Amino acid sequence: MDFSLSEDQELLRDTARSLLANECPTTLLRDHMTDPSVADPLTAQLNEFVGLAGGDLTDLALFAEELGYVAAPGPFFANAAMFAPLLAAIGSELLDDVLEGTTTGTVAMAGSDGSWRVNGEARKTFVAEADRVEWIAVVGEGPTVRLTQGLPSRLIERVDTTRRLFDVDTSGASGETYEIDPDALTGAIESATVALSAEMVGTARRMFEMALQYAKERIQFDVPIGSFQAVQHKLADMSLALERATSAVQYAAMTLTEQDSDRHRATHVAKAAAGAAITRAAKDGIQIHGGIGFTWEHDLHLFIRRAYGSETWMGTTGYHHDRLADLIIT
Amino acid sequence: MKLAWEPEDEAFRAELVAFLDEHTPAEAGTRDFGSGGPVDEDIIPAWSRKWQAQLFDAGWMVPAFPPELGGRNCTPVQTLIYLEEVARRGVPRSLHFPGYAIVGPSLLEYGTEEQKQLVPAAVRGDTVWCIGMSEPNAGSDLAGLRTRATVHEDAFVVNGQKVWTSYAQVAQKCCLYVRTDPDAPKHKGISLLIVDMDTPGIDIRPLRHISGAAEFAEVFFDDVIVPRENLVGDLNDGWRLTQGSLAHERAGLWVEGVSRLEQSILSLIDLATRFGADRDPVVRREIAAAYENAASLRALGYKGFSSFAQGSSAPEHSYMKMASSEAAKAVFELGMKIQGAYGAVVDAERGDEDGRWIRGFFMSFANTIAGGTSEIQRNIIAQRILGLPRS
Ligand SMILES: Cc1cc2nc3c(=O)[nH]c(=O)nc-3n(C[C@H](O)[C@H](O)[C@H](O)COP(=O)(O)OP(=O)(O)OC[C@H]3O[C@@H](n4cnc5c(N)ncnc54)[C@H](O)[C@@H]3O)c2cc1C
Repeated sequence: MDFSLSEDQELLRDTARSLLANECPTTLLRDHMTDPSVADPLTAQLNEFVGLAGGDLTDLALFAEELGYVAAPGPFFANAAMFAPLLAAIGSELLDDVLEGTTTGTVAMAGSDGSWRVNGEARKTFVAEADRVEWIAVVGEGPTVRLTQGLPSRLIERVDTTRRLFDVDTSGASGETYEIDPDALTGAIESATVALSAEMVGTARRMFEMALQYAKERIQFDVPIGSFQAVQHKLADMSLALERATSAVQYAAMTLTEQDSDRHRATHVAKAAAGAAITRAAKDGIQIHGGIGFTWEHDLHLFIRRAYGSETWMGTTGYHHDRLADLIIT
Repeated sequence: MKLAWEPEDEAFRAELVAFLDEHTPAEAGTRDFGSGGPVDEDIIPAWSRKWQAQLFDAGWMVPAFPPELGGRNCTPVQTLIYLEEVARRGVPRSLHFPGYAIVGPSLLEYGTEEQKQLVPAAVRGDTVWCIGMSEPNAGSDLAGLRTRATVHEDAFVVNGQKVWTSYAQVAQKCCLYVRTDPDAPKHKGISLLIVDMDTPGIDIRPLRHISGAAEFAEVFFDDVIVPRENLVGDLNDGWRLTQGSLAHERAGLWVEGVSRLEQSILSLIDLATRFGADRDPVVRREIAAAYENAASLRALGYKGFSSFAQGSSAPEHSYMKMASSEAAKAVFELGMKIQGAYGAVVDAERGDEDGRWIRGFFMSFANTIAGGTSEIQRNIIAQRILGLPRS
């Protein structure tokens, strides 16, 4: 049992961190609100790392955590963390093109209730970046996966402007259809869910660090507000939630990488723990900032948007608790 | 990153499991979380004394110690595996922790050659020890302790009072923290003495705790004479010694808390099923949330242990005590809630739970208070880990 990072993993994390710090400033997130194409250069740079999708989930999760830290916009996540594992599960040769960076795709699965379970509905919802990828993999009853192009889609307006989710009408879909083994489908969705949880941990860490920094700098009553116990205990609880989630996600990524029998439970634990950490960091983070955090000008809200956009996507904390209950209460 | 342990560590586990399977006394396995400690019987029953000595003699008491101290010089990873196996089975190594967990290691580190001779019996459990730190006016603020020891040429004379002293009524010896320099700043005038509990002038008055059992006591000192050679470490250097405990086990001690938590969640699922609450969506979600908490804490514990094994200070451990003790409280409370109107019943003839959930709940209060309250833990996290300024 070893949770420590290898030298290669540390290098990967550091490389991602410095690339994203330069290429994904908060000004980009603001410009992206009105013009998603501003993220295209970033997407091109991230595409250099798409080969991670052909390796261990533990590595992809580390990378995703850094994406979350800057709330990276664009289709990289959908392509590398969702589309690629599904292609691997159906054995499509399109995977090679994705891993070489010559094509991109996303996944359409949830129906009108927004939950990522197999359904026969023609209108799929919450499909990430449907207008910025070449392929949409539509998961339908059977279960089956159909690889399609050019489906009509409509942006769903959400508070989270850093990740764009769409309704997709699949009624006129054409394209090759694959049967998929239900366990393989579960594995692909679990892999995407754990990658999303890792991303959420990164976003939670960003908000936590902003709050911690502010608590050390902001002076009231002649002392830093971080010397007040009410503020200290909030930050202690935020950091506990964050450390729990970080570890749970890393563990889940290891169970999926190694096909360990605990992987189904670990996936739900990871998404739920990440949901708890990210919402706590958002709520307590803004409280610690006081009025300044409530302004449009302050960057905190960009991450709070991402936080709630992510917590409600691919299963809320409550959804994952319910699935976990199905596994442990028999 | 990987999930498996090394083959030599699995071999260590196999040897341990074989020993436990063969020798664990029947009484050890039947201690339920709701038993709340003995009310009238012996605090340290004969079977547990025998078991502790047996573990010591076989090198399974503190495996990281050398054989003459009840161990087998095992590695930190093996210590973690040991704590994991023992906790998973709910087998208590000992029913009195101060001797092997605190006194032994402290004397090995700070004691004189003569004082070190006391260690084997402390670890084997032949000598029962208690720790005299807390006083009526010095709890969380331990450095405010006032029990006074005047310094004479060949002896100390102790006057004052300790409280919440676990095992005082059955202990032969006490590690007693006293003030030897009342004029120095409060952290600088404290010393540590070894005191024989049968010394004239010591008055022990057992205190019953919330379950009705008397596991701790008030201890009064009235002109108690303690030989000079019973001073541990330097005069007025006692504060530094309050930190001493089983350093090589500290990195794995969280396993006990987390394993107990996981066990109580399994019991909770069983309870919910028997009470037909397992189909209640609210109950299901709450049980899952408790499971998520425990599972993520276990992952956090392993992660902290990995950095510890690599030589880092592993701040993760500072979170574990607070989080697992608070989580346990929530689990017992849910157990009571599931029983509805019978949640507070301890009548053996009414309700098949015999009050074990509410008893467990009451007992769980101890762990968020003793050994540094949850609030003190949050202060430590904020100030020592997050680097926030002291108020
Ligand atoms: C089962 C049990 C066994 C024990 N065994 C022993 C033993 O063997 N030997 C021994 O010496 N002691 C023992 N103790 C005592 C234990 O260490 C103290 O109870 C503990 O340190 C708290 O001190 P206190 O009870 O005086 O509470 P207080 O310190 O008075 O605390 C009361 C409340 O105030 C809060 N508080 C205090 N200071 C702060 C602060 N700075 N910031 C925020 N909140 C604060 C606390 O968190 C708590 O909620 C035992 C206690 C229990 C419950």
